[in-house]
Order: sequence, then C-alpha cells, then structure tokens
Amino acid sequence: MTAMFKFEMKKNLQDRGLLFWMIILPIAFIVLAVSVFASGEDGTMKQQMILSIVPGYVVTFVFFIMISMVTAFLKDRDLGMTARIASTPLSPQLYLLGKWIPYMFIVWIQIIILIAFGKVVYDLPIVQPLFVFFLSIALSFMATGFGLVLSLFVKTENMGIALTQVIALGGAMLGGLWMPLDLLPDIIQKIAHLLPQYYAHQALQDALNGTLTYKAFFQGLFTILAYGCAGFILGIIRYPHFLKQARG
Amino acid sequence: MTLSHVKKSYGKHVALRGVELMIPSGSCYGLVGPNGAGKSTLLKILASVIQDYEGKVDLNGKGDFKDIMGYVPQEICLEQTFSAFNNLSFFGRIYGLKGKRLKRRVQEVLEEVGLADRSQDKVKDFSGGMKRRLNIGCALMHRPSLIIMDEPTVGIDPQSRKYIFQMIHRLQEQGCTIIYATHYMEEVEQICDNVAFIDQGKMIEEGAVDDLLQKYAVPSVFVKASKPLPESMGMDTFGEIVDYNGGLLVKTDNPLLVMKSISTFYQSNHTEVERLELVQPKLEDVFFSLTGSTLRDVNPLAKTGYTSKKEVI
Repeated sequence: MTAMFKFEMKKNLQDRGLLFWMIILPIAFIVLAVSVFASGEDGTMKQQMILSIVPGYVVTFVFFIMISMVTAFLKDRDLGMTARIASTPLSPQLYLLGKWIPYMFIVWIQIIILIAFGKVVYDLPIVQPLFVFFLSIALSFMATGFGLVLSLFVKTENMGIALTQVIALGGAMLGGLWMPLDLLPDIIQKIAHLLPQYYAHQALQDALNGTLTYKAFFQGLFTILAYGCAGFILGIIRYPHFLKQARG
Repeated sequence: MTLSHVKKSYGKHVALRGVELMIPSGSCYGLVGPNGAGKSTLLKILASVIQDYEGKVDLNGKGDFKDIMGYVPQEICLEQTFSAFNNLSFFGRIYGLKGKRLKRRVQEVLEEVGLADRSQDKVKDFSGGMKRRLNIGCALMHRPSLIIMDEPTVGIDPQSRKYIFQMIHRLQEQGCTIIYATHYMEEVEQICDNVAFIDQGKMIEEGAVDDLLQKYAVPSVFVKASKPLPESMGMDTFGEIVDYNGGLLVKTDNPLLVMKSISTFYQSNHTEVERLELVQPKLEDVFFSLTGSTLRDVNPLAKTGYTSKKEVI
C-alpha cells in the first residue's frame, strides 16, 4: 500500500489543476467574499462575517477533491492500470486504500492552509484548535468518502464533474455556507438540517470562535463521520463492480 | 503452466470455450488468433487479472503465482507525468523492493530496455517505442520467471521492435518462460518456439512452429519468365497455380522437383526464365488454413443487408 500511497501522493502534488481547485480558487473566493460583505463593517461585525465566510468556503471547497478522485479512478480503470495492478501481489483492498488515503491527506492539508490563511490575513480566531483538528480530519474523511462513491459509480469524467458541482455548490447554497441560514426560507432551513455541510460549517465556526460545547462537538463530529462512512460503505459495495469493469 | 478446460463468458457472449494448453517451461509460446478470438481474455486469466472463470490454471501445481509473473498489457499503463525512473520504482515497490536494492534494480531494468540515458525524462515526452519498452520494463522489476506479453509491439518502429525481440531472446536465455500474444505472424516465426492458434474461443491447433509449418503450409515455387506462356501450355500439371507479383506461384509438396521441371519446361518452350525461387511457407498460411480469411469483427447481419435483428424477424 505504501507504494500506491507514495505514487498517488506524488502524482497529486504535481497536479497544478488540483492546486487551483483546492487552494487558489477558495482563497480567491474568501478574499472576494470578505471584500464584498465585510468591508465597511465595524470590528465585531466584520469578525463575525469572517468567522462565517472562512469556514463556509472551507466546507464548500473540500468537496472539489471529488473531481480529482473521479479523474484518477476513471483513468486507472480506462487505461488499464487497475487491471495491471490486479496482476501484481497488491490486493484490491490495499490498492483502494492506497489511492484513497492520499486524497484524505490532501483535503486535510487544504483545510489547514485555508484556516491558516484566514488567521494570517484576517486574524481569524482559532480558540479550540483541538476541536478544529478533529473536525478537519472528519471533514477530510467525509469529502473523500463522497469522492470514493462518486468515482466508483460514475461512468464518465464529465458525469463526475457535474455531480461534484451539484454536491459542492448545491450543498453550500442549501447548507447555509454562503449566507446566514436564518435569512433563507423555512423550507431551505429544514433541508439544511439534512446536509453534512450544515453540521460541518456550524461545528467548525463554533470551534474557531470557542463556543463549541463537547455535546455539539461530538454531535457535529459523528454526523460528519456518519456521512463519510455512508459514502465509504457504498463505495465498498460498488468496488467489485468497478474492478470487474476495469479488468474486462 | 497448464490450463484445463478454461471457460469464460461475458453475459451471453462466450469468450473462451474450454481451452486446454500446456506451456513448456523456458519456452517462448506464441498465442495467435483473429480479433475477438479470446487471446486477451486468455492472457488476462493467465495473469490473474480475470479471476471469475471456469477451469483451472496452474504453474507447477501452484494456483497463485503473481510473485513470479510479470504481465505486460496491451495498453501503455504508465504515469505519463512521471519519469521512467519513477514509473519503474513504483512497480518495484509493489513487489517489495526498497532503498538501494530498488535503485539498483531500476538502473538494471533501464539499461535492459535501453532507456538508461532517459531515466529522468517524463514518459509523456517519450516516443511510442520508448513507452512500449518501459511498459515491458515495469513487468521485469521483480525478475519474473514467467512473462506474459499482450501485443507488446503494436504501433512501434522497426528499431524498437527489433530491440524488443532481442530483449525477449535475452530473457529466454536467462530461463524465463514467455507467453506472447500477437497478430503478427512473422513475429511468432522469429521469436516463438511453440504456438497456439485460437479462434472463436477455442484452441484449434498448437505445437512447435516448425512442425505446424510442415503440417499445414504448402511450399511454393515462384517463376517469372521473359514472356508469358499461353494458358494451354499445361503448367498446371506442376501444382496449383496463382498469379503473383508479375509471375506465377506454383504450390507444391515437392518444390525441388517442380523447380527442375519448370526450368526444363521453359527451356523446351524457348522461353528465358528471369526468376525461379523457392518460397518458404509462412505461419500466416497456416493461420489462414486453420481460421479461414473472413473478417471476425464485422456484424454478421451486414451480409444479409439488415441492420438489426428486429428487421430480420
């Protein structure tokens, strides 16, 4: 598995597209949102807005990893790499883990970089760093769990990209990541409570602000992990079909 | 390596219908057949890529032999943005090579495939032949004693092809068993000791290349004269005659006797013979005599003028 992990990690670190989607684009959106919504506001109000904007865009953009995951899995499937690896002693389970874990690691790094950016540029408070740490790991697990299931279900890359947009942008809009939830209609507020983005945003925002209780922390953490597990389990169920397609 | 009653279906389509093979250790074994004959499916079964099949495949009594087998797929399975060195390292790591041992082996394989001076260049900048050689190199990292190659010379220049043949000869000299699937008959004649013909999922003939040539292919004599003889002159008594390359090709079981007779025949008819040659039989002749020459990848309905089964009904 180490071979697969190193291989994928190196491949992703060389990928400029990934750098753009995962780091440059969210930073651009954060800067734009802060300059549009928070400029001209007084200190406390501005701080509150930054506290909502930064974790909001963190949660929005972690899902963009799904594009890279879909591309990587489909490329391996269609160009014969999955089949070739089946002829080696590397087991299908370790192949899957070796491909998946680097993406989890990349998302975690992404979250750290975006929060650090918020801290350095906008003086974003990080009052409960341990909570932020565990939530960031759970968020990485969830985003890549969704990525895994998408990669193993979709037939084409375009289908994967389209569904990523629906999950990332649709979830962000309905989950209250881009504007306060109480400004949205009742029906949207109800839908938001079904979405993992909502729980991730709330928990992350409160942990940064230092207002996250243990109860709320575990509630948020387990909700995020539960969504991640659901993705992962669906992926595992679908995996034999993917392997069969790949092996011909 | 022994294959017993190997069967494989994809839904209603039967790809292999009970293939039986015995591949001698240390041989270079050719696997030939038309498109859709089942060669790639068979190779994938041998390489453990396909595992849901009926029948049995074993190597010296062992069912799992992944650690001593190297598979070269038809597709170029390399990471294009990585260097040759990094691609080889990846496959070496899969087989448990690490540190200095890994580096040393990568260097050895790079030299073996003729890419030592391009080791740090990215694969995307390589020519087709270089990519094919590296694709083979990835399967050699763990010094396998069985190498399975699926059309490794598709779309490459003659120099790279020759280099790959030399590599295969070297591997065979080192004691490797090689299973080589191809469409190119001349490749099988050049590098394989034994060959199996597969058509429509069945093994239709196998044996030593020379034996099969002797059994199925008829030698011919090519004759080109200064002026053509009238048809009534009775050349057909020598054997089956076909027009070929501005002359005549006479198929015969006794070419030397026929050559002598033709020479005498033309002399007696006061006609100068410009060329008189023995044409050695080719594996391609064996292939056609066993499989026929109709295309295998056309829609059978096309011959009827219909485009769908519904229309036929």
